[in-house]
Amino acid sequence: MQFGSVKVINNLSFSVKKGETFGLLGSNGSGKTTTIRALLGIYPPTSGELLVEGKPYSVAGDVRLGYLPEERGLYKKESVIDTMVYFGQLKGLSRDDARNEATAFLERVGLADKAKTRLDKLSGGQQQKVQLGITIMDKPDLLILDEPTKGFDPVNRRLLMNIIEEHQKKGATVILVTHQMEEVERLCDRIILLKDGKAAAYGTVSDVRKAHDGKSLDDIFIEIYGEADKEADNA
Amino acid sequence: MHNLGTVMRFEITRTLKKKSFWIMALGFPVLMGAIFAIIYFSNQSTSDASKQLQSEHFSLEVTDDSHLVSKQLIATVNAKVVAKQQGIEDVKAGKVDGYIYYPADLAHRSIEAYGQDVGVFKNDRYESVAKYLLSTSVESSVNEQVRAVIAGKTSADVSTYRDGMPYDSTMQMIFPGVFLVLFYFLIAFFGNQMLTSTTEEKENRVIEMILTTIEARTLIVGKIISLVLLALLQAVIIIVPALLGYLLLHDHLHLPALDLSSLPVNWPRIGVGFAIFALGFIMFTGFLVLIGASVPTAKEASQFFGMVMILIFGPLYAASLFVSSPDSGLVRFLSLFPLTAPIPLLLRNAVGNLAPWEIAVALPILALTGLIMLALAVRVFRFGALEYSRKLSIKEILSLK
Repeated sequence: MQFGSVKVINNLSFSVKKGETFGLLGSNGSGKTTTIRALLGIYPPTSGELLVEGKPYSVAGDVRLGYLPEERGLYKKESVIDTMVYFGQLKGLSRDDARNEATAFLERVGLADKAKTRLDKLSGGQQQKVQLGITIMDKPDLLILDEPTKGFDPVNRRLLMNIIEEHQKKGATVILVTHQMEEVERLCDRIILLKDGKAAAYGTVSDVRKAHDGKSLDDIFIEIYGEADKEADNA
Repeated sequence: MHNLGTVMRFEITRTLKKKSFWIMALGFPVLMGAIFAIIYFSNQSTSDASKQLQSEHFSLEVTDDSHLVSKQLIATVNAKVVAKQQGIEDVKAGKVDGYIYYPADLAHRSIEAYGQDVGVFKNDRYESVAKYLLSTSVESSVNEQVRAVIAGKTSADVSTYRDGMPYDSTMQMIFPGVFLVLFYFLIAFFGNQMLTSTTEEKENRVIEMILTTIEARTLIVGKIISLVLLALLQAVIIIVPALLGYLLLHDHLHLPALDLSSLPVNWPRIGVGFAIFALGFIMFTGFLVLIGASVPTAKEASQFFGMVMILIFGPLYAASLFVSSPDSGLVRFLSLFPLTAPIPLLLRNAVGNLAPWEIAVALPILALTGLIMLALAVRVFRFGALEYSRKLSIKEILSLK
């Protein structure tokens, strides 16, 4: 994956198994979000293939996808419920089902009384909850969450973790893009650590830890990216 | 085009919920109605006041070197005939309200009126009475036919023929000309909305959510169709009150009778007008959406609106040239250069001087340019819309794969 003369992703190959939770890790600018955008066809790859169930991802395909992008945002001047119903319908739900799903989610996350409120009247955290609700409202087969806990307080972070775990139990494949090693240790079956667009570590959480003398993921992260920082300083 | 209906419903519903739409939709006909009412009542009251001034009694002196003003009429208004200098002095001394001097050579010299100041509007009474005395005197000295000629009240019924059949060029313009009005109306009212229709997704950072849920093409087509439907609704909001007003008030306001059944229907020209309108509209919509998708904010997009409006409506300034000199190089260029073509083509089609070969060349040019614009707009939205904070250059737009 190349932008102009800059190679953002370089010779990267990995797979995510159906039903597992996969952690896509890396420091800022390591290529995580670009990889996801290329997977979803938002960026066309310069070379190579990114496949979901053997085919390039298409919105018209059979895969039910829930994607929570790193860049958060919704139609700010619309009400919470109208926005959720709109996205629910775009994802293939009937109007009634979308409304029911949206209402149930809002009750669960404590936003039932905000259903008719304009999104720009909500706090940043509340808007993120709405966006999460949209991401999962059609019970996706593949859930891609890019920095899902960014901006959440500990209570809401816990709530989000519980929601992810529920989807795991229902058999959804989850790709978690994060810096939070606690989340990774708790949720992920396998991980990949990207450095300069290449895989610096790849495997199950325990395999990666074993390969680094049993260190914690936090320490492994610091070891890998600390070296990168030193190289950058030397350069 | 899966989900097209959902996009259209969402776009239309949220626009109809906006106060700004209704202010614009209802404000325009209300404003136009108010302006016409003011003009009508102003003219009416000016006319009434003018008639009143003519009949207003005030002391008057007259000198008639033209010998055209009836002495009987002068006596009727109780005016006194005096020498010029005395009349002016009497006014200055306040002995008389007004004095009028009719020079011998009225064809080359003005009537002179002197009077006491009675305010801006009422001071017109001196001129009104001066003209009234003269015109009434002259009219009474000729017969009714000559009076009608002098008053410009004669009319001519013109019958023109083409290929031996009755042919009225002006009436022929009406139906094909509707597309020119409709094009102007749609672009003028909804151009800015088209320009900013995709910037909302950018400004709200909702692009990624959208692009993983729906095809960019479906979203853009859905937005365009929604805008067209909203524009038609706007047209209905303007036309219905105008028609109702006409039906209810045309006798009272002395408006001419409208008989649509007598208008000639030239189907080939109407068809060409529709084709130019539709292709021109698609092309400009694509162009506006393309600009909107290439810039980060609605504010920046709006900066380009003036430039687009000049391209679209600039040719209107050469309207008389399109009618009188259809074969000139400039007219041909403006008619075939895609970004200026719709107005010249629609106007020339309405007046009937668009050659068949020009139609054959212009329609494919518009269609091709429209397709390129729409394809570029979708591509830029699809792959360039994540540039949240900067404008895309033309080179970048053309190099997007």
